[in-house]
Amino acid sequence: MARLAREAARLANTSKFAEQVRQAAEAGRHVDVSKFAEQARQAAEAGRHVDQTQVVAEASRLAEQAQTAVKAANSLAELERLRVEYLGRSSQLTELRRLVRELPVEARPQVGGAANKAAQNMEGAFETRWAELTVAEREERLRSEAVDVTLPGVPYPKGSLHPSMRVVDEVVDFFVGLGYRVAEGPEVETDYLNFTALNIPPGHPARTMQDTFFLDEGLVLRTQTSPIQIRTMLSQEPPVYIVSPGKTYRRDSDPTHTPMFHQIEGLAVDRGITLAHLKGTLAAMARHVFGEDVKVRLRPSYFQFTEPSVELDVSCFVCGGADPKCKVCKGAGWLEMLGAGMVDPTVLSEVGYDPEEFTGFAFGMGPDRMAMVKYGISDLRLFFEGDLRFLRQF
Amino acid sequence: MRVPLSWLREYVDFDLSVDELVEAISLHSQEVDGVHGLGVLDGEVVVGEVVEFGPHPNADRLFVAKVDLGGREVQIVAGAPNPYPGARVPVVLPGSVMADGTKLRKAKLRGLESNGMMMSERELGISNDHDGILLLDESHKTGRPVADYFPVGETVLELDVNPNRPDLWGMIGVARELAAILRTDFRIPELSFETGGLPTDEYGLRVEAEDLCPRYDLRRVSNLVPGGRAPLEMRRRIFAAGMRSINAIVDISNFTMLETGQPNHVFDASQVRGGIVVRRAREGEAMTLLDGTTRKLDPEMLIIADEERGLVIAGVMGAGDAEVGEETSEVLIEVATFAGRSIFETSARLGLRTEASGRNERGLDPNMVPFARDRVASLLARHAGGKIAPDTLSHYPEPVRDWEVPLRIERAELLLGVPVEKDEAARRLESLGCEVRSEDGELSVTVPTFRRDLRREVDLIEEVGRLVGLDRVPEELPKTSVPGGLTPTQKKVRTLRRLLADLGLAEAITYPFGPDRWRTDLGLDSGHEPPKLANPLSEQAREMRSTLLPGLLDAAVRNEAFGVEGGALFEVGRVFEAHPPPEGLRETAIHFRLTGEVNRLGPDVEPDAASLMGIEETPKVGGVLAGTIRPANWNASERRAGFFEAKGIVERLVPGASFVPEDRPFLHPGRSAAVRVGDVLAGWVGELHPETAERFDLSSPPAVFELELAFCEPDPTPRFRPFTNVPTVSRDLAVVVESWVPAGDMLATVEALGSPLLVGARVFDVYEGAQVPEGQKSVALRFAFRGEETLTDEAVNAELDRISRRLRESFSAEVRGA
Ligand SMILES: [Zn+2]
Repeated sequence: MARLAREAARLANTSKFAEQVRQAAEAGRHVDVSKFAEQARQAAEAGRHVDQTQVVAEASRLAEQAQTAVKAANSLAELERLRVEYLGRSSQLTELRRLVRELPVEARPQVGGAANKAAQNMEGAFETRWAELTVAEREERLRSEAVDVTLPGVPYPKGSLHPSMRVVDEVVDFFVGLGYRVAEGPEVETDYLNFTALNIPPGHPARTMQDTFFLDEGLVLRTQTSPIQIRTMLSQEPPVYIVSPGKTYRRDSDPTHTPMFHQIEGLAVDRGITLAHLKGTLAAMARHVFGEDVKVRLRPSYFQFTEPSVELDVSCFVCGGADPKCKVCKGAGWLEMLGAGMVDPTVLSEVGYDPEEFTGFAFGMGPDRMAMVKYGISDLRLFFEGDLRFLRQF
Repeated sequence: MRVPLSWLREYVDFDLSVDELVEAISLHSQEVDGVHGLGVLDGEVVVGEVVEFGPHPNADRLFVAKVDLGGREVQIVAGAPNPYPGARVPVVLPGSVMADGTKLRKAKLRGLESNGMMMSERELGISNDHDGILLLDESHKTGRPVADYFPVGETVLELDVNPNRPDLWGMIGVARELAAILRTDFRIPELSFETGGLPTDEYGLRVEAEDLCPRYDLRRVSNLVPGGRAPLEMRRRIFAAGMRSINAIVDISNFTMLETGQPNHVFDASQVRGGIVVRRAREGEAMTLLDGTTRKLDPEMLIIADEERGLVIAGVMGAGDAEVGEETSEVLIEVATFAGRSIFETSARLGLRTEASGRNERGLDPNMVPFARDRVASLLARHAGGKIAPDTLSHYPEPVRDWEVPLRIERAELLLGVPVEKDEAARRLESLGCEVRSEDGELSVTVPTFRRDLRREVDLIEEVGRLVGLDRVPEELPKTSVPGGLTPTQKKVRTLRRLLADLGLAEAITYPFGPDRWRTDLGLDSGHEPPKLANPLSEQAREMRSTLLPGLLDAAVRNEAFGVEGGALFEVGRVFEAHPPPEGLRETAIHFRLTGEVNRLGPDVEPDAASLMGIEETPKVGGVLAGTIRPANWNASERRAGFFEAKGIVERLVPGASFVPEDRPFLHPGRSAAVRVGDVLAGWVGELHPETAERFDLSSPPAVFELELAFCEPDPTPRFRPFTNVPTVSRDLAVVVESWVPAGDMLATVEALGSPLLVGARVFDVYEGAQVPEGQKSVALRFAFRGEETLTDEAVNAELDRISRRLRESFSAEVRGA
């Protein structure tokens, strides 16, 4: 309340001064303060009184003049110059205040009050204008500092990860989350581990179907990552939960086959593992990689080291099976994703597990092909040419 | 296996659309690779009688006919000259859709209207014959739909038959399978024929190689009409199934193979001298085959011969001698079972795959032989006028009998993860031809001999599972409670790849085999032989890499060739080194590689598996930085690849590595270094030698590096060092030393002082030129000091003095400006 009252008083004073100054201005009177000083001195000498009303009017006229000038000031520098002019040591107002001391005692409060009011008014005007000009000048500076925001930013280097490896990492992360370990093995593998231990004895047609690269006698470039499963089972007791990504090699070269490609295989051997576990695990994996909405289905198949063997199809994540012209699934609505099955008891026996006590499932998938589907790549050969036009897209 | 649906319907009834049929087969049995159409898919084909036929008035090669379609006469323009007035021809009417999808329309050809088309055999899907219009015999009534006599269109399913199911390489087997899926019946053609031909036993039969031939049967058919053609419907089916019609006898032989899945062979009996001998080929023996090629045989191969010469490479292909021809009037039918592996190996070694070898190599059921043998005989009697011998010759010393397999229902439920009804399992197995007896909780299943893949309980469980339907299997997760996760090494590789990508390198994966040029162009020691592929795709891909570098350089060459402006690649992969086992261990090594068994060398001496492998794999990370690795931006100049760009990366991968000048033939001698961790070589870094760059066709030498993964620590475990909240003081020191003094040594020497105040030291300028004497350089160092309390000038100056004194002692370094 007290603040409001003060404010009201200040406004009343201001309007009163304004009125006086207006009248002075109308009358076209112009009184030099130094003239008052002279008059005052003479009056004092003569024992006469200076006309107080005239002095008060002059003070408010000064205030009015200063305010007008301040409002017109266009820079902080100009404003500073005006401050010196109106409020500085040698300003007329200062002169006027000095004059007060020379007035008769009874006149002093009125004239002194008027001078103070004028000073306050001027200072208020200066402050307001100062703030206005500061903001304006800052805005002007910011305007002048504006850049073309469409110019490119500083080029921090951006490399890329290989599309197959992106899929490998994604699949591996999924299985790690389920409690699987990642098992690895050599790319040069023994004939025994690559074939015989996987229920593919010498002379079995599957051996040439796979078009193996041979090295020194008894050594091959692994045609599948399955020997890792055997190595793992030979080195530990169940339960086994592993996923094994890696490079594999077959003697094949055309737009859809390269002599090197990637595989990710997985193996779960435990008590009570069923085909339902296989289906549930791989369905969850497919959703992790291709999106929550995909569905899976199993089809019977044939693999030497699983029985029953199945293939897993994933519903087309592009068209959902709805588009007969879909380029990804070619209208089938399903994409062949991987081969899997329950580990053949012969394989379990080979590594010394009791197939009556333990069952398991195994699966194998091609991350290169998954990447082709996922990223819409048409030619597998691009994967292994180190072509930056290709690699930089991932 | 190509399955024409009209043929399939002869053995099994089904009421499914093609899509439904494909789905039923692929969800319950085999993959369907494709669906093909032949002939007329939709529309009207009628028997027409040509009334008039003559040349087209406005075209040299066209003809025009008036054809009676049964009370209605139409004008048709034709391209073939063979019809004549009175001839019966198939006419397809406008509006019909052909197999290739084209729709036939009324057309005007050179001014004459054509209201349909007279069809060739090819257009009807009967054969590839397109030389003339198919002429039908008098039994085809004018105006009747042709489909009343034979199908005018055909849908063929292409089955991708799994190798364990040779029974599905015949139409009857497919019909049985489909009937099992649809829970319906199927039928097998009945064999009824009269005998009365010349006896078979006028010929001898001697099986010498019993191990390769479990069964061999012969039956003679005489009095054949020479040079006949098979009936149109048989020819059409053979064609739809993917084979070619030859003559009646050969067609009947092939038809029976397609129907039963059992190959057979028909000899011209008049050309067989003495009798049939089943034996191994003799050393040096050769045979000129039906395809005109002459093949050298070896004693591993089984042949069918007469007493004088080889007639057939058993189960694969026949020779010209004793083959059926236009004059043949008497045949011997061979139906036999061969050892699958022998057929497979022979066919692989000769590079000769035929319909017969593809079936025989699976190892067929000897009990299929009699049906196929007598089916051929009866068809020869019916369609070629033959008389069937009353007797057969058969060599089948060890008859295969069916076998029993027990099946526990609870075991089936365990493996399949679904409840299994005992009765349903039994019915399903019966539909496959099994006999099933039920004993409490268990089934006793007698398996027919044509299902050689059903030997064990688990095999039967698979059959039950797929026939019941895999869609019934629910989605569940195992109740695992084992700790998983990446090993520290695997995590490290992840971090390293991510780090390199974040540093701007693109991850490449290149082939680990290449040409010997890879080694020679790098100037690598040729005395150390790399592992080599015995059967590479080409000489350009024979040697296993001993470094990642050449693959990455080839990639850089490719990028340069395609105008990619520089760039950086990295690869994480393995390199290979041969460590052949010592001569004395070679047999042990091979035995180990083939059997997994390690033979002990003595009572306590067991060679380790690694030495028996003989090839060592080392995981490495390599990189190539070529040309502009960061292009100029409007406010930043371009960065070009050089030694220090590569070194900076290596420093991130191997913190604390030291860099020692060391010559490598493929690196710039003055701009390369060995990367050491302690005293151990971890890899190398440098600019490629200009000569090497030239050999690889690179316009300028890239910066390259290679590190053993084992030494990389892209994200070392941090160790906290306490610090106090006092200002750090920075001081510069410029010293002049001889040009050869390594800056790294100077920093190391400063560090070795063990100053308690020094918290950082780096080189911020190196200058050689007019301001320093010839042969010297100025090295400007910036040091950061921090103490327990705010450092005084005196304390800092004292420490700086200590440093400059040490530099003077060690390197005669003169403080500049001092
Ligand atoms: Zn789709």
